[in-house]
Amino acid sequence: MGNNHIEKLDAVSFDTFIALADPFKNDVNVFDLSGVKFISPAALVQLAAVCYALKGKGRQLKIILDDHSVCSYLARAGFVSTLKSLVKFEPQHIEDSIYNHLRGSNPLLIEVTKIEKGTELPNLLNQIISVLRHRLKYRKYDAFDVATVISEICQNTFDHNKSTCGFLAMQVYGKGTKRFLEIGVADYGDGLTKTLQRNSKNKGINSDLAAIDYAIKPGTSEHDDPTRGTGLYHLLKIAYKYQGAVQIRSGEGKVRYRMDMRQGWKTPVVYIPGVHIALSLGHKKKTT
Amino acid sequence: MDKRLDLVKHGKQLWTRDLAVTIRGDLEKLLEQSQAGDAVIIDAKDVDVFDYSFANELFGKTILRLAKEHPERFLVVENLNVYTRENLANALSSLGLVMIEKKGGKIQLIGKVHPADQETFNAIVSAKDPVTANDLKDKLGINLNAMNERLSKLSGFALIRRNTGVSSAGREQYRYSVLR
Repeated sequence: MGNNHIEKLDAVSFDTFIALADPFKNDVNVFDLSGVKFISPAALVQLAAVCYALKGKGRQLKIILDDHSVCSYLARAGFVSTLKSLVKFEPQHIEDSIYNHLRGSNPLLIEVTKIEKGTELPNLLNQIISVLRHRLKYRKYDAFDVATVISEICQNTFDHNKSTCGFLAMQVYGKGTKRFLEIGVADYGDGLTKTLQRNSKNKGINSDLAAIDYAIKPGTSEHDDPTRGTGLYHLLKIAYKYQGAVQIRSGEGKVRYRMDMRQGWKTPVVYIPGVHIALSLGHKKKTT
Repeated sequence: MDKRLDLVKHGKQLWTRDLAVTIRGDLEKLLEQSQAGDAVIIDAKDVDVFDYSFANELFGKTILRLAKEHPERFLVVENLNVYTRENLANALSSLGLVMIEKKGGKIQLIGKVHPADQETFNAIVSAKDPVTANDLKDKLGINLNAMNERLSKLSGFALIRRNTGVSSAGREQYRYSVLR
């Protein structure tokens, strides 16, 4: 499926890209990244989650690439090694083995990493804290704030899903005070609507956009347990505190929050299983 | 006799509900071993950070069950840093819960504290010796029924001690104090 001349594939344009294929409705098994010059970590984990979900349906998948630097980045970012057992890449010989031993060596990059259980989180969170503190000049407790919400959303990927997993990736861009990071977390589980509807208190949720609205309120959870359901609430609270941007995508709904304007924009999107979250944070201003 | 749970032995950075489930098992054992009137102290010394899931599972879940499963046991947290205190306060507030914190040798409450409860608690803290409802009602300028309700609530949540004493007139009465 062509990409309609998308050059920059990120959390926003990913929906344009995936709508062209609509792979959970149509029997489309080829993702054509020809012409793409840039892929963000959020888009990487989204595509990884989509591929895992389709492979679970027995589909034979192919990803077409034509840009040498994108091929190298996908290999360096761990995307190729994470997917090569279930996706055929074209060109076929993307050399990723040379990059595998570099995994974890660049503090400004967290390669696409499968998240299946809580014991995998501390190392990832340590790296995020280190980047925030030393590259984005966050104070220690501010960095802890961000790591705390990443911990919460990563836990959601395995707490609420069975037989699936989540993916996390991070990249820091820019220099000096223009520096910013993007973190993507995506899974291919049941999504917010189905998950929340397991709790009889949430039976009234009738759309994915409504589910996102509910999920950002404290105490909304699949579990009838007052100690749960604070992850996405805190995500927005922290993003607001640091003037970041958040996108939450689930099923057929997407809400993008600009926290400097404290506003969310809702968009209906084509169906993808799971919950996909993108968080962007800039350099810490000295005044805050 | 008071018992202690040192959190730092599980790490300086305490992430995830799963980890808290494990530690809560240890905490439950300490609560089971303790006697009525004992305190179990959760020592957060040298712990840099814990997330909300961790706080909700370890502190929130234990406090929610404390009065029913371990009546008359006190749960105290101490040596919180600025960050862990803020996260714990937020976690407890979102659950509508409160617990005892020992900070710099002083006893205080952390979490969602009603102003009337805070006022009552402070009055008991400032009294050197155990006090009765009669003593406190005069100090706070409220009637005896309201005072008894406040004290009953605080002792029911294991935030203050309640011991039976005898008044100068020979009548049985409750005396209230905080953990020292």
